[in-house]
Amino acid sequence: MGETFLLDIYPQRIQSQRMANNKARAPLTPAVLHILLALSVKERHGYGIMKQVQADSQGKVTMGPGTLYGSLGRMIKAGLIRESDKKRDPEMDDERRVYYKITSLGQYALAAELERYREVVAVAKRNTLSPNTHAYGI
Amino acid sequence: MAYEHAIAGYRKLYAKLLRFYPQSYRERFGEGMEQTFNDLCREQEKAERGLFSFALWMFFETSAGVFRENVRFTTMPLTKIIRVLLVATGLLIVPLTASFFVDGWNWGVGGYAFAWVMFASAGLGFTFVSSMGNTIAYKVAVGFACATGFVLVWINAAAGIIGDGPVNLMYLGVIAVGFVGAVVARFQSSGMALALFATAVTQMLVPVIALMMWKAGWQGLLIDPNSPHPPFHPGIAPVFGLNAVFAMLWVGSAWLFLRAARKATS
Repeated sequence: MGETFLLDIYPQRIQSQRMANNKARAPLTPAVLHILLALSVKERHGYGIMKQVQADSQGKVTMGPGTLYGSLGRMIKAGLIRESDKKRDPEMDDERRVYYKITSLGQYALAAELERYREVVAVAKRNTLSPNTHAYGI
Repeated sequence: MAYEHAIAGYRKLYAKLLRFYPQSYRERFGEGMEQTFNDLCREQEKAERGLFSFALWMFFETSAGVFRENVRFTTMPLTKIIRVLLVATGLLIVPLTASFFVDGWNWGVGGYAFAWVMFASAGLGFTFVSSMGNTIAYKVAVGFACATGFVLVWINAAAGIIGDGPVNLMYLGVIAVGFVGAVVARFQSSGMALALFATAVTQMLVPVIALMMWKAGWQGLLIDPNSPHPPFHPGIAPVFGLNAVFAMLWVGSAWLFLRAARKATS
């Protein structure tokens, strides 16, 4: 029997690495999606990720350190991101910080998630639904 | 100036809160979390926003993270739990078989239920705590402590160590000291060693307190009124001797935890 992982970066808990690979196209949680988006451009430290997520979502998504680092830990375990060396941020103080960068599996998961979103938007457009439309007859 | 003072205070408190994360998590992310908290404090300062509600939210949010990660780190896989419960059930075959062949062995349903609870608790306790350490010394130490606790409760339930009066309930205090100590030590080797040394001391305090009760004339606590035995049965030397054996077992377990701690730091 293979090694068992508990990967809950997906809304549905995935029990093994093999399942994670097979389900790379499975939907990601909002926190993971935003973190992957923030890291897709360049590597960032914790505070940098937090600020980027806030900027990308126009302030709608805010994460505290508890949520952020919990997600980072699970994403590292799932192989979506990895830690890079400690270094100083020239725009901040002299403290050396751990930076996080997206992996190729992370890029693949992000691309799959964005593709899913595109498909959802395409369906909505096809059905001429706008966000203010009373969908499903409600 | 007052603002900086407040930030320093909150940072200190936040660092203390981070100590409640599981050790491996804290080692990996603790520094980054402290830095991030500090960065967020500075951001508040620059924007001249109030600190109290911000700090309150940060502490609440991080406390939720502490809870989540501790649950994640300590949750035993269901398969392990089922395995332990099956073994506990399997062990009941021993007394069940004995009841057919040994004269006078006639346990009721309550006896089997008690035995099952004892086997299951010892097994689950060992499985849960031993998963917290990586060294063989740590796992053996946990096994030693669980076995000692099991035998202590079993003997007490079967016959009692000091006569057969309510004084034996004090031994639950011995188990409680070990349990609370382990939780306070967060199952770290060096803390576990201290907890078990404390358990050994508590173990030896029980006969001392019982002896004082006897000398004070509190016979009702020492022996059941219908008991055929005298108070402090089976005698001062055997009672102290048996307690010393248990205390030595606790100390043995503590020593193994110390070894595990040294191995972890070397």
